[in-house]
Amino acid sequence: MIEFQTVWGWQPALYLFLGGMGAGALVFAGILTLIDRKRNNTIICIAQWSAAACMAVGLLLLLSELTNPMRGVMAWESFVNPASWMTWGAWGVLAAIAIAVIAALCTMRTTAAGIAALCKGFKGARPTICKVLAIISILLGLFVAVYTGILLMSAPGIPFWDTPLLPLLFAVSGLDTGAALVEIIALVVRKRERMTDRCAELLEKAIIGMVVVEAIVLAAFLLTAAGEGAAGEAAAASVAAITAGSLAPWFWCLVVLCGLAAPLAASLLAMRAKKGSDTGIIVLSGALGALIGGCALRFLVVMAGAHADLVADTVMSILL
Amino acid sequence: MNEMSISRRDAVKAASIAAIMLAAGGTVVALPGRGQAAEATSGTARQYGFLMDTANCVNCGNCATACRNYNDIPEGTAGRRKVVAYEPKKGERAYVSTSCMHCEDPSCETVCPAGAISKGEGGVVTVDKKRCIGCKYCHQACPYGVPHYDEEGMDKCDCCLGSGVKLGDTPHCVDACHYDALHYGPVDDLVAAYGDRAKRIAGPTQPSAWLA
Repeated sequence: MIEFQTVWGWQPALYLFLGGMGAGALVFAGILTLIDRKRNNTIICIAQWSAAACMAVGLLLLLSELTNPMRGVMAWESFVNPASWMTWGAWGVLAAIAIAVIAALCTMRTTAAGIAALCKGFKGARPTICKVLAIISILLGLFVAVYTGILLMSAPGIPFWDTPLLPLLFAVSGLDTGAALVEIIALVVRKRERMTDRCAELLEKAIIGMVVVEAIVLAAFLLTAAGEGAAGEAAAASVAAITAGSLAPWFWCLVVLCGLAAPLAASLLAMRAKKGSDTGIIVLSGALGALIGGCALRFLVVMAGAHADLVADTVMSILL
Repeated sequence: MNEMSISRRDAVKAASIAAIMLAAGGTVVALPGRGQAAEATSGTARQYGFLMDTANCVNCGNCATACRNYNDIPEGTAGRRKVVAYEPKKGERAYVSTSCMHCEDPSCETVCPAGAISKGEGGVVTVDKKRCIGCKYCHQACPYGVPHYDEEGMDKCDCCLGSGVKLGDTPHCVDACHYDALHYGPVDDLVAAYGDRAKRIAGPTQPSAWLA
C-alpha cells in the first residue's frame, strides 16, 4: 500500500507555480526589452513588477511553511550548504527578484526620470543598462524556472520526482505560464499601449511551441515513471493516481484541457484571425487556461509524490 | 622602467585571469551533489549501525517505547523508532523495527540548506536543532521517509547520543529488546556475526542497517 506524501502541502506547490510563472514572465520581459523596449515599455514594466511579486509571494509562502520561519528569514545563516539545491534556489530567486525590481525601476518612465535626476550619466546609458539587465533577467529567469523542477528531482526519496524530465517539464511550463501572464498584462493595458505586432506574433508562436514541447515532455515524464522493485512500484502508483486514480479528474480537466489544449487552440485561432479583428477574448481564455493548468500541474506532481517501501523489498528477499 | 611596467601589467592580467578561473572552478566544484560521500566517512574509523533479526522479533514494541522514554518523545507524536508488520506469504508475518539508517551517503545531509545535518563520529547522522529551519526537504530526500518534525525542528534517531549514551555503548532500544532481535555496533562486526544471512536494507544511500 503506497502512502502519498503529505509533508509538503499547498504552500510548496504554489511556490513552485509562482516561482516558475514569475521566472517565465521575467524571461519574456527581457526578450521584449531586447526586441523593442520603447514601444512595449508599459507591458515590460508591469511584467517585471509582476515577476518580482510572484517570486516574492512564493518565497513568503515557503517561509510560512517552515517549522522555524524566523530562522528561515535569516537567509545568510539558513541557506549556506552549497551541496543543497534549495540553497542555490533560494539565492537564485532572491537575485531574480532584485534584478526584476532594478530592471522595472530602469524601465518605468517616472522612476527612470528620478534616477536620471540623481545620476547624470544614466539618461544616455539607459538603453544599454536596460539591455544588460534584460540579458541577466533572461539567464536568471531560466535558472529559476529550471530550479523549481530540480528542487523536486534532487529529493531521491520520492521515485516519481527522480528524473531529469521534471526540471524540463517545470521549466517549459514556467516559461509557458510566464508568457501567458505577459499576454494577460498586454490585454489589460491594450487601450494605453498596444503590443507591437512583432512581439505579439512572437509570443503566440512561442506559446504554441512551448505547449507542444510541454505535452511531449509531460507524456514522457508519465510514461517513463516505472522501474524495478519498490521504487518502480512507488513511481507507477504516483502515475496511476494522476492519470487514472483519485487525481485523474483534476489532471485531465485542468492540466490537459485547460493547460494544454486551450492555450494551443487559442494561439492557433488568434494567429489565423483576420488582421484588425478583436481576438482579446480568445487570447485571454487561452492565457487563463495556461495559468490554471500550470498551477494544477505543480499541485498534482507534489501531491502524487510517494516514498518507496525499500524495507519491504529487503524483507521479501530474506524471507522468500 | 618601461619593461618593468609591462611586466607588472602582465602580472596583473595573469593574476586576474587566474582569479576568474579559480572562481569558476570553485563554483563547479561547489555545485550540488558532488563529493559528499567521501567527505562523510573519511576521518571516521568505523561505521556504527543496526542489524535486525526478523526471526526473533515478536512485535512487543519495547524498542519503540524505550526510545520514546529515554529521548523524551511524548506519546501521540511521531516516534524515532517503529515496528512494521510485513506479510511475505499468506499467513506468515515478519516484524521489522526501523529508525534512521545512518546511511554512508546520507541524502538528508546533502539537501539540508542550513547545514543542520551532519555525519559525525562513528558515522552517526545527527541534526543540530538550533540550525534546522524545518523546510522538510530532508524527509523528501530520505529514501525511508525517516525525518519527522516537532516544534523545534527535525527529529530522528541519533543512536541515543543526545540522551547521554556514548558511542560504542548500547542505545536504549537495543537494551530494551529481550528477544535478541535488535543489534547495534560497528557494522562490519554485525555483518561478520551473521554471515550470508545479513542483507543490507535496499536503497541508494548505503544505509547502515541490515536485516537477517
